[in-house]
Amino acid sequence: MTPALLEIASLSAGYGEVPVLSGVAMVIRPGEIVTMVGSNGAGKTTLLRAISRVIGARGTLRFDGRDLTALTPEQVFGLGLVQVPEGRQLFDRMTVEDNLRMGTYRRRDDARIQQSFERVYQLFPVLAERRQQIAGSLSGGEQQMCAIARGLMAAPKLLTVDEMSLGLAPVVVDQLLGVLGEIRKQGITVLLVEQDVFAAFSVADRGYVMETGRIVREGAVAELEKDPEVRKAYLGVQ
Amino acid sequence: MQLFGQILVNGILLGGLYGLMGLGMGLVWGVLKIVNLAHGALIMLGGYALYYLYTKAGIDPFLGLPLAMVAMFVLGYVLQTALLNLIVRSAQLNTLLLTFGLDVVFVYMAQLLFSADFRTINPPYAGKNVTISGVVVPYAQFGAFLVALVLAGLLFLVLDKTRTGRAIRATAQNLIAARLYGVNPKRIYAITFGTGAALAGAAGGLYGIVSQITPYIGVTLTAKSFVIAILGGLDKPLGVIGGGLVLGIAEAMAALYLDPTYTDIISFGLLVLVLVARPAQLLGRA
Repeated sequence: MTPALLEIASLSAGYGEVPVLSGVAMVIRPGEIVTMVGSNGAGKTTLLRAISRVIGARGTLRFDGRDLTALTPEQVFGLGLVQVPEGRQLFDRMTVEDNLRMGTYRRRDDARIQQSFERVYQLFPVLAERRQQIAGSLSGGEQQMCAIARGLMAAPKLLTVDEMSLGLAPVVVDQLLGVLGEIRKQGITVLLVEQDVFAAFSVADRGYVMETGRIVREGAVAELEKDPEVRKAYLGVQ
Repeated sequence: MQLFGQILVNGILLGGLYGLMGLGMGLVWGVLKIVNLAHGALIMLGGYALYYLYTKAGIDPFLGLPLAMVAMFVLGYVLQTALLNLIVRSAQLNTLLLTFGLDVVFVYMAQLLFSADFRTINPPYAGKNVTISGVVVPYAQFGAFLVALVLAGLLFLVLDKTRTGRAIRATAQNLIAARLYGVNPKRIYAITFGTGAALAGAAGGLYGIVSQITPYIGVTLTAKSFVIAILGGLDKPLGVIGGGLVLGIAEAMAALYLDPTYTDIISFGLLVLVLVARPAQLLGRA
């Protein structure tokens, strides 16, 4: 079996004295698309924040053989673990191009950066058209594209995407899901955190279900889709 | 009419320098969300740095300016790293208290070290000027104005085109995203405050050439920088220079048509107007 790219075990995390996650365990292997689903407030975003080291956490947190628990968010980013945060969090008053350039902040390989631009503009032709436009003036779907593109510009090994579908039209969500498939073909592993379980399961290989800060189900998407509890709670079928 | 032209030119030349004062204030404010009450004291220190570079080391003031700026950058960088990073992005009152405390310390240190005497940086060309269709343009004032414009243009280019400049803007616009994308905010804060101090230092040096410095010039200059930074828009270097021009011209006109004692009434009247008219911008940025 290939060694894990991301390995999480008995992880607990929270805000100040308020615990949100407890005993979370999860493994992501290179080349996978893994999804973490669960309702609003289950702790999914908290998990991503803990992984990116924006909030403190206790337990095992290893990426590409390195222990993350002693690192800063900048260092984690530098290792190739890149987050596309919930709500896009673009640099609103910068141009699309400058937003993308911010993705390359820790890269020094100028020739490759040019290739990354070309690849990203190929994935999202609309961003190429709007490269000089202020990011805050884009539509919601275009902003999400810009946020994902910014993540890709960092040449990530693992891209974690938080609530990609939030507030977007179904046709745009479908397009973005297609892009995640393309990204995987380029050798980038993806962790997709979603409330929209249908959308998440349509593209992922494996899934985890989180409820009130714990993992309650895990397995291949094909199995999860057959699980009666998951069907009832998240897919709305009996 | 010739008098009007002269006063207008005086106002513009002074306004460029004012703009430079507002530049450092606005940069620090926009990125660190700190209203730096010690900004005027930094201007004052820059003035003394250039004064001693000229009188003790014999370096031409315009050539000494980069040296004074480097020294002030280092001072600003160290201040931010050692002190201000402790309270950056915390409650506004903390930042006001700390920078006010720094202001007091700097003013009294200057009084001890440099005495309370008036000092002027007086290079040989200080009194020389050129007359263009009846309007007198002093070389030193014109040089100071040009330096202010060049520094504003440089700041604009650095913020717009360089990697560090982008990181500074990113930190100002979205701290969370900046951290997620590899920016170390404390380092960016130190660079930003250092740059603000260097710009203040340059303004102080030029002020020493065109006017006089004492340890106490900072208080009014802090207030003026505040007004100018808001008039111009905090993260728009060229706009801030515009704000400086507005204030410079308004002051010069007031001195001519009202009375020289009205100059400070104009700037502080503008301060009150700004506080009344643009509270949304103040709240949004501070």
